[in-house]
Amino acid sequence: MNAMRIFLTKLATHPLALLVLFVVVFFGAPYLRGATLQILSFALVSILFTQSINVLTGMAGQISLGHAAFFGIGAYGSAIIAKTFGLNLFLTIPVAAVVSSLIAYLLSYPAGRVKEVYLAMMTLGFGQIFLEVAREWTDLTGGVMGLSGVPSAGLGTLIILGHKFSTIDYFRVLLLITVCSMIFIRNFSQSRLGRSLFVMHYSELAAGSVGIARRQTKQLAYALSGLLAGISGGFYAHLVGYLGPESFAISRSIEVLVVAIVGGLWSSAGQVISAIFFTFLPEQLQLFAEYQFIAYGLILTFTLILFRQGIGGLLFLPPRFIRQAWLTTAVEQQRQATAANSKTNEPQFLKIQSVSADINVQAITMRFGGLVALNSVSLDIQAGHITALVGPNGSGKSTLVNIIAGVFPPTSGQVFLQGIDVTAQADVEMAKKGVVRTFQDPRLVPHFTVRENIMLGAHAMMHYTWLEAGLSMPRVRLQEAQALEQCNEILQLLDIEAVADQAVESLPYGYRRMTELGRALLARPKIILLDEPAAGLSDLEMTRLAEILVKLKHLGITVLLIEHHMDFLNGLVDEVVVLDSGSIIFKGDMLGMRQDPKVIAAYLGDDEVQHA
Amino acid sequence: MDFFLSLVIAGACVGSVYALVAVGLNLTFWTTKTLNFGQGAVMMLCAISTALLTAQGLSNGVAIITGVAIVALVGVIVERIAVRPALKTAGSMGWVIATLGFGILLQGITSKFFGSQAIPFPEVLFTVQDVIDIGGQNISLQYVSIFVVSILIIVVLEALTRYTVLGTAIRGTAQDMELAIVQGLPVNLIVSGSFVLSSIMAGIAGILTAQISGTVDPAFGFELVLMGFVAAVLGGMGSSAGALIGGIIVGIIGKLVGGYISTAAEHGIAFALLIMMLALRPEGFFGRAEVTKA
Repeated sequence: MNAMRIFLTKLATHPLALLVLFVVVFFGAPYLRGATLQILSFALVSILFTQSINVLTGMAGQISLGHAAFFGIGAYGSAIIAKTFGLNLFLTIPVAAVVSSLIAYLLSYPAGRVKEVYLAMMTLGFGQIFLEVAREWTDLTGGVMGLSGVPSAGLGTLIILGHKFSTIDYFRVLLLITVCSMIFIRNFSQSRLGRSLFVMHYSELAAGSVGIARRQTKQLAYALSGLLAGISGGFYAHLVGYLGPESFAISRSIEVLVVAIVGGLWSSAGQVISAIFFTFLPEQLQLFAEYQFIAYGLILTFTLILFRQGIGGLLFLPPRFIRQAWLTTAVEQQRQATAANSKTNEPQFLKIQSVSADINVQAITMRFGGLVALNSVSLDIQAGHITALVGPNGSGKSTLVNIIAGVFPPTSGQVFLQGIDVTAQADVEMAKKGVVRTFQDPRLVPHFTVRENIMLGAHAMMHYTWLEAGLSMPRVRLQEAQALEQCNEILQLLDIEAVADQAVESLPYGYRRMTELGRALLARPKIILLDEPAAGLSDLEMTRLAEILVKLKHLGITVLLIEHHMDFLNGLVDEVVVLDSGSIIFKGDMLGMRQDPKVIAAYLGDDEVQHA
Repeated sequence: MDFFLSLVIAGACVGSVYALVAVGLNLTFWTTKTLNFGQGAVMMLCAISTALLTAQGLSNGVAIITGVAIVALVGVIVERIAVRPALKTAGSMGWVIATLGFGILLQGITSKFFGSQAIPFPEVLFTVQDVIDIGGQNISLQYVSIFVVSILIIVVLEALTRYTVLGTAIRGTAQDMELAIVQGLPVNLIVSGSFVLSSIMAGIAGILTAQISGTVDPAFGFELVLMGFVAAVLGGMGSSAGALIGGIIVGIIGKLVGGYISTAAEHGIAFALLIMMLALRPEGFFGRAEVTKA
């Protein structure tokens, strides 16, 4: 089974095999029957449309139940412009696609604020609004009577620069565009931006913690998805020559979801197969056409539960999110470094050149409703020190870390970073200023490898745009290669090179903790905040972690960690701060803490102390 | 003015059905933070079953009870096959897609076996000709009756959840499911029950709406459940009073827009309202923003 997957994956990603396939289809088109060519054209439109869901739902995890609207905007847009101004589709489709993209971008503002149920409802509502507009704005769309006379290759009315476009020409253009879009999306998915969409899918908090701006990332996903849907809609319009509003009803939104889900939500190859399958089936098999809705219903009900990876998961290896060639180079470099046994080195790129950063917390109070989580806490975290934050559950440790990291603003009080007031700055901003954190339970992208997860940390260090990523411009390669090199150093520091290219969901807990630490480190922190980094680690792993933290200190990084494990902290930390019920009850060294009556009381309870 | 008043009254009546749908959605939202996105098909199924059974010569009462019983069963099935497994394995997208799919399945089966034509719906309560005089307006008794029935059901349900042991158990489960399990509450049963009740509410809403529209077809219910969403979101998901007020507001605004601007915009305006509300105040007018621990 796996051998087959490896073979098919090689075939589906082999440039030569793909080129041959492309050439055969491109030049074989004239030999196909007209009807077959027509269905193949529909399949290409479906592939393009599915790519749009792939970006928004598959990658960014934003569900859309109204995607037919963007398809419709592309279709009506291109048709109306072509009819009104007599322009050809090489102008009208791009214009319509940009309009669709803009509207998707605008929708991302309200949609970006909501999740799950609400997002599903909002997109459903959006789809209905579009449908109502298409039905009622008769002057523009032809209303329920539809819009006929759209220049179409099938009807022989598509004339471009005096040349009459045949169905074969049309098919070839469509094929070319589809292939280009797929290459673009492939490149994009293997870039910092593609990876950032996935982390939004699994944890928006994790995204913020390494400086991935949530809103921009969602905007990008919507705009790109809208663009692709618009292009596919435009090609649909000139393929059919007639547009009726019912073609853009909820059933089309559902159809594209069916195709994407059956194909496998991240698998382009699976989606291509699925799109072709669902286009041909109703045409070829009358029985299927009759039971189409029942089949769609069954597929949607059970696929995500029983058959989560779809066709793509069945036939192919999971897609990867670092470009294969660059990955190979990185792995090779790593192998050489291991052979040279340069293990003792600390990653020099992490070294803090100037004076390292301190954090100053002044009279921070945090209330959640009636609960006072922190009560006027003031604290200096010394630059270049390892400071531990200890205290019973619910004493406010995580809240303090969340406030410093910018996850939520305090009710009152101030936070200073190197003497500058940074109170209530968002986590994304704090991350860019060098304050990076990990979480109590690792928040990673489960199907990403260790390396891909760590690479998320380099997001804000790379600066290329989505367009450069998609077109694979030189800057992308330079920056990715540099990040991969640094990633190697971190893998080495954390001693997890052996599992670097395994999916984290398949790895034991200790590796996930290390992966998250790696992600934080690649974001080049001045201050690293670790929320219970030793929880769930074996003794061996804990010793290793302590060594790593000492190395970070040598590099000049300020470390603040929440920890319960006193043996782990012994001999490691410079200073320990004890919180109880939202107030600091002790500050000093480990020995002093162990003897402090207040600390003993907080941990063991007053009664115990009296009896002891 | 008369025209305005009649629109307001009609809007309030239709809105009360939206509220009924919204309260039904709230029930499952309380227990599992999920909604049945196929709720529209449940409404359709109940209304079509009732219509078909009366056409077979059954009395209205028996037909309605049978129809409601059928959708109650559908509620159990939806929870068991589309929600419970999806919550375990597939994250939030899983149940949205699965419940939506189940709705499409029901719709597909119905149109396959009973055709996709509209079926006339019997006049269960009063006839089109029955009117009552309210403030000088002739208001259809059908409208008035659906208002009364909807409000009655919502009030009874609210009373049940507030003042009975069962209600306390449901609210307990809503607050903290894990704690409810630890306390020995039959959580699975409560969750199932919430889906059954939710389906029953949807079914009744379907019958009430079919009463006014006069016919049902397999696509029936889709817009209605969207209106129910709008009502629920406007009032704040989970709030019964919010759902009631939200529903009536949506109903009235819809009718006013339909009466003064264009009937075409009647539904569009509600969806625009939905998007605006979600963008500006997702917790609704009456809901409280959720505080979650990071």
